[in-house]
Amino acid sequence: MTGTGSTVQPRGLARRLLAANAWLVYGFFYAPILVLIALSFNENRLVGVWRGFTLDWYAQMAANTAVLRAVRSSLIVAAASTVVATVLGTAAALSLERFRFRGRRAFDALLYLPVIVPDVTMAVMLLLFFVRVADAMFVVSGAQVRLGLTTITLSHVAFNISFVAIVVRARLAGMDPTLEEAAADLYAGRWQTFRRVTLPQMTPGVLGGALLALTLSLDDVVITSFVSGPGSTTLPVYVFGLVRRGVTPLINAVSTAMLVASMALVLASVLLQRRRGPA
Amino acid sequence: MAVCVSSTCDRDWNDQPALRKQIRPAMSATAVDLSDVSKRFDDVNAVDHVDLAIRDGEFFSLLGPSGCGKTTTLRMIAGLEFPTEGRISIFGDEMGLRPPNMRPVNTVFQSYALFPHMTVSDNVAFGLQMRRLDRREIRRRVGDALELVQLTGRERRRPNQLSGGQQQRVALARALVNEPKVLLLDEPLGALDLKLRQAMQLELKDLQTRVGITFVYVTHDQEEALTMSDRIGVMDAGRLLQVGVPEEIYERPTSPMVAEFIGDTNLLPATVKADGQIELVGGQIVGADITASPGAEIMVTLRPERLHIVDADGSFPDGHNAIDGTVARRVYLGNAVTYGILAGNVTLRVRVRNAPGQRQFDVGRRVQVHWAGDAAVLVERG
Ligand SMILES: Nc1ncnc2c1ncn2[C@@H]1O[C@H](COP(=O)(O)OP(=O)(O)O)[C@@H](O)[C@H]1O
Ligand SMILES: [Mg+2]
Repeated sequence: MTGTGSTVQPRGLARRLLAANAWLVYGFFYAPILVLIALSFNENRLVGVWRGFTLDWYAQMAANTAVLRAVRSSLIVAAASTVVATVLGTAAALSLERFRFRGRRAFDALLYLPVIVPDVTMAVMLLLFFVRVADAMFVVSGAQVRLGLTTITLSHVAFNISFVAIVVRARLAGMDPTLEEAAADLYAGRWQTFRRVTLPQMTPGVLGGALLALTLSLDDVVITSFVSGPGSTTLPVYVFGLVRRGVTPLINAVSTAMLVASMALVLASVLLQRRRGPA
Repeated sequence: MAVCVSSTCDRDWNDQPALRKQIRPAMSATAVDLSDVSKRFDDVNAVDHVDLAIRDGEFFSLLGPSGCGKTTTLRMIAGLEFPTEGRISIFGDEMGLRPPNMRPVNTVFQSYALFPHMTVSDNVAFGLQMRRLDRREIRRRVGDALELVQLTGRERRRPNQLSGGQQQRVALARALVNEPKVLLLDEPLGALDLKLRQAMQLELKDLQTRVGITFVYVTHDQEEALTMSDRIGVMDAGRLLQVGVPEEIYERPTSPMVAEFIGDTNLLPATVKADGQIELVGGQIVGADITASPGAEIMVTLRPERLHIVDADGSFPDGHNAIDGTVARRVYLGNAVTYGILAGNVTLRVRVRNAPGQRQFDVGRRVQVHWAGDAAVLVERG
């Protein structure tokens, strides 16, 4: 089908307006990002005024122990919560797509709750929960449970399970169920069917879900700032704290570094999603 | 993994000669036996009290319109569904709730269901690997199977790099390589274009004769069933209406549904008179090759190609039945011309070969339609 003769393709003025709209939208999205990146190379301490090119802020960032500690915390939390959420989210997706059980519909609906509930609500709920658990633990065993990397990781697991499950389910739903029947017909038992047919088919979905979880964990501010304790800040929370004391090009440099890392992860996730099996 | 875990498993498959025709016992054994099998899905009777014995080594087709329960029947034999009622035995072994991987059958799925992440040879090797055969043995048998379906040289391709016809052959090889006792095929040629389908029909039949495996073949295409089958079972709305060799099904249908579904036919309501003669609803008396009890309300089926047309004052052989009528319709088909002849209150479809010297008739002409006494077949009124 040719584009020019088509009756459903917009023409003339409509076409030009649509193109203009697209440019406006992209401008709106990306202009601030470009400004941010540009200013991270600004020699001037005053953020708004350009003086000259420098990499000083990146050097400062690399030498700043507080920044480095925050990066380390972020990476630990992201790695741990991604692994746990990916395993649990994949299991949830499999059980929802492949098995019928009592309460399946309710489980289905509840699984999406963390996606819908506002971050602040989620954060308050988790904080209250951890405080209660800490109290109970203290009463029962005398052990002190403090807010820190463990509570941050648990919180990230809590919201990431949903995202992983959604992504993996989409992949499973697109898979031909007769493939599993064919495996069974060819003498594969349940486990062999899963390992040789189901798992390879859903792997792109699982990897995509894991990358999404990693990104969300690295980016989270609201929930993390509620459930983190003294000395256990992640990078975004640390940056947020810096901003309150005034924006410096150091923040721009840190933000740019985070942006690049996040974009790389999202891009990888999209590419994995798009790949329909390792063909 | 042992495939035959049941003690009732009488033959070890590995003992079977590779893809060679087996010597059939004089009394052909029953390969698949369905005894009063029903399958209900919620409120649908997908399969309704089916009794059927499929013989060892035969090419058996289940034929019927879409939604009549063919696939469900096949899936119950494969173990992918379990009957709501009734029993299924394969070579005397009752299958009960035995899962598909424990049954001596393999399936060629309608959608082929090839594993997209595996190469052609990995697809074909899958069943043998699951049965833990020796590596060299697997390689040899996969090679043989691919040669059998003429796919040698395509081993390293992925399913999505093959044409529809080639995918179909891979699905066939993947099932046949296991040397199942029974091969189940669910409309395996449905996705192919007409030319390829016709070529594959003959190839499949030929293949089945060579390997000697019992084929249970599901199709909604009556021509395909007639071309390939040793016997055909016609299904409608979950019920098995008639089982027989193709000639029987075509020439002596026992119900109006079978008569109409297999080929084209004229179905005329009639009653049996006291003297055994058949009276059409229009009052016309005809002869037919089966006698029925007087007073019975029946249907007469007349195949269009068994009817002949002559002029109103023309002559026809002795012993033929004849009806007067008018040419109401004429359709040119190339190799034939079909007429609609209005005779009383019925319109008879008549097919006349388009051969040199064959007389054709114009619309509006008064004619007589005649047929041999045994051309009309009585069926019970459905
Ligand atoms: N899994 C199922 N759940 C509910 N109804 C089904 C299911 N499978 C088949 N049916 C119904 O059973 C009937 C027979 O289906 P099927 O065996 O697929 O017919 P065919 O293969 O002859 O076209 C149809 O009415 C179909 O809708
Ligand atoms: Mg079907």
